Amino acid sequence: MTTIWTRLLAGASAALVLSACSMNGTGGDDGDAAEGYDPAATVTITWWTGQTTDAETVAEKLAAEYHAAHPNVTIKTSPGATTTDDLLTKLSAGFAGGSYPDISYAFGSWAGELGASGRTQDLTSYVADASFAWSEMPAAARTTATVDGKVIGVPALVDNLALLYNKTLFDKAGLPYPTDQWTWDDFRSAAKKLTDPSTNTYGTAYSVSGSEDTTWHLWPLLWQNGGQILDSGGKPAFNSAAGVTSVELLRAMAVDDKSMYLDQTDEKYVPLFGSGHIGMIINGPWSLLDLKKDKVDYGVTILPGTGGDHQTVSGPDLWVLFNHDNANQAGASRDFVKWLTSKETDAKWNLSVGNLPLRTSEKDTPEFATYVKTWPGGQTFFDNLANAKQARPTVAGYESMSRNVGDALAKVLQGAAQPKQALDEAAKKSAPALEK
Amino acid sequence: MSITFAATPRTRPPDTTARARSRRGRALRRNLTGWGFAAPATALVIGLSIFPAVWAFFISRTRWNGISAARPLGWDNYRNLVQDPDAAAAAQHTLLLTVLFVPGSILLGILLAVALNQKIRLIGFYRTCIFVPYVASAAATGILASFVFNPQFGAANEALRRLGLPQQGFLEDPGQALLVICLIALWGEVGFCTVIYLAALQDIPRELVEAATVDGASRLRVFFHITLPELRPVTVFTAIWQTITAMQLFDLIWTTTRGGPMNSTQTIVYYIYELAFQTQRLGYGAALAYLLFAVTMLLTLGVLFYSRRNGREAF
Repeated sequence: MTTIWTRLLAGASAALVLSACSMNGTGGDDGDAAEGYDPAATVTITWWTGQTTDAETVAEKLAAEYHAAHPNVTIKTSPGATTTDDLLTKLSAGFAGGSYPDISYAFGSWAGELGASGRTQDLTSYVADASFAWSEMPAAARTTATVDGKVIGVPALVDNLALLYNKTLFDKAGLPYPTDQWTWDDFRSAAKKLTDPSTNTYGTAYSVSGSEDTTWHLWPLLWQNGGQILDSGGKPAFNSAAGVTSVELLRAMAVDDKSMYLDQTDEKYVPLFGSGHIGMIINGPWSLLDLKKDKVDYGVTILPGTGGDHQTVSGPDLWVLFNHDNANQAGASRDFVKWLTSKETDAKWNLSVGNLPLRTSEKDTPEFATYVKTWPGGQTFFDNLANAKQARPTVAGYESMSRNVGDALAKVLQGAAQPKQALDEAAKKSAPALEK
Repeated sequence: MSITFAATPRTRPPDTTARARSRRGRALRRNLTGWGFAAPATALVIGLSIFPAVWAFFISRTRWNGISAARPLGWDNYRNLVQDPDAAAAAQHTLLLTVLFVPGSILLGILLAVALNQKIRLIGFYRTCIFVPYVASAAATGILASFVFNPQFGAANEALRRLGLPQQGFLEDPGQALLVICLIALWGEVGFCTVIYLAALQDIPRELVEAATVDGASRLRVFFHITLPELRPVTVFTAIWQTITAMQLFDLIWTTTRGGPMNSTQTIVYYIYELAFQTQRLGYGAALAYLLFAVTMLLTLGVLFYSRRNGREAF
């Protein structure tokens, strides 16, 4: 028995050492992954769409359409994982096992990590080509696709935060609707007037789950106040005076005015807005689907501003392209993504599943006209893309930092901490995760 | 046989080796047969439990996000854990949950088991009622409970309102959330204790109880001096089992509070999940998982040794 156990253990540890080695990325991939690409070569590429149900059907159709035009390129299409959240886990398992896709959907917040894997293609010179029309995509999305100066993917979806308001509640309170000239003081006083404890009505809502949904709602305020998330050295800088001012506004609304519904789950505030219990929410175009189902009479306007600055935050997602040391695979996946994100194809893809268009040039397409008609407020969200001037940092420690900032905000809004102290603590806790 | 051998002495030496070989062959075959039965299970255990566990230990000594290269850190993760206020808070929450949940479920379990051991009508129905919450998944239990305990629109506050009592925040109040979760967990898990105790109660020799009754012992005395001591091995088992359940409670927390509000329900296991799969700190999470494993192991061994020393074996 003992000998068998020792042998088994020895075997297991040998396997461990081997897999420990494969935990490391392939490392430096200098040079162009598609060097010597032959567009006529027969090639199969794998595409993880990150989509399920209806959107996945559209994706399959697009892949078939591309295959019809390029018979030598076969695209193996699959969602990749059961939910988009699981894609990162699937990708990391794929890296360990050496079987990862050529193209995968990825949340923008993963860009830093994926870029650090050493397995992504460097698309910097590819997208710089005039035919790609890189500049037609929103700047924040382009920044998100760029990690350490290298473009690792192409934006797949763009969005932004705007102000949604319930017209019925505003009419009942006798208040004028929010405008593009609103300041945060206007926002606060309207929220106060809309609040009515006797009917369980709140002026606005804020998620205090501590997740990214909590955190990224703060960034527009921080930027409008002239603050920064990280300083030029990559260290936390959100605990500056600008950060404190921003959090103090939220704290005053939640604690002093009690005009803010504090959502513990990220999931309740949109339905509550839809059912007329919340007057205004700050949210993205994806909530339009729910609001349409709830048949609520809503309006959309850009975020309130500080000193005329109305900038917002965008949460772009990406098509990340991976390197398999095969020029034809790399070249074909580039060509496919270029086609997929082109003005014509994207209008068929994003607009048909209810997302904003990727490119400014799409505003003249008939698909966009239909989109704006189908989704009231869609035009405002599209115009608001221009207000997404800065992007969340694409660094490997962002997820940790976001969690710490979210926790700090949750504490402040529930009256358990003061803005300065909570932000300082979050910055201190985040520093080790942000170290390279 | 021996006569045959004796008559042919010249064939003897090769024959012994043959016999020895055949004996060895038979032993080998027996061994192989044994391993043939054991191997699939062994492979499963090694592949799915031991290998990942050992690998997790290697990961726990690195800084790794699952994607880019792992960086060896030695024991740094463990050292940082000791100073991590979030880990300390999570340990406190886990401890509080365990201290409330384990005795609570044992007491309730004994009470319900005694009640369900009576000869009354519809006893099968009552027993089923108690066991159903245990069969329902903790996820379903959690979702149901979060409806009931919703502070604005839930049934629990509605009941308080009818009784003229003040409204409570329940799962949204950092001071109450852990208690409410403990309550929900008790509701879900008490069926298990009850069933175990019910079986143990029915195993108590009837003569003991009858003899005591004949000697003039009251029902209460019978319960305290015969029933309870007889249940002790089962109690050791349920204590260990429920401690492990409490320390590893996850699905209920995920479906009700996700560790909130303000991390007041963040237990060790939930913190591990957050570290490893939400903020991609696999090394740090693995280190915490190892600490939890060590503590659970020590606790179990401690209880086992204690019960063995007292001559009552539960396992």
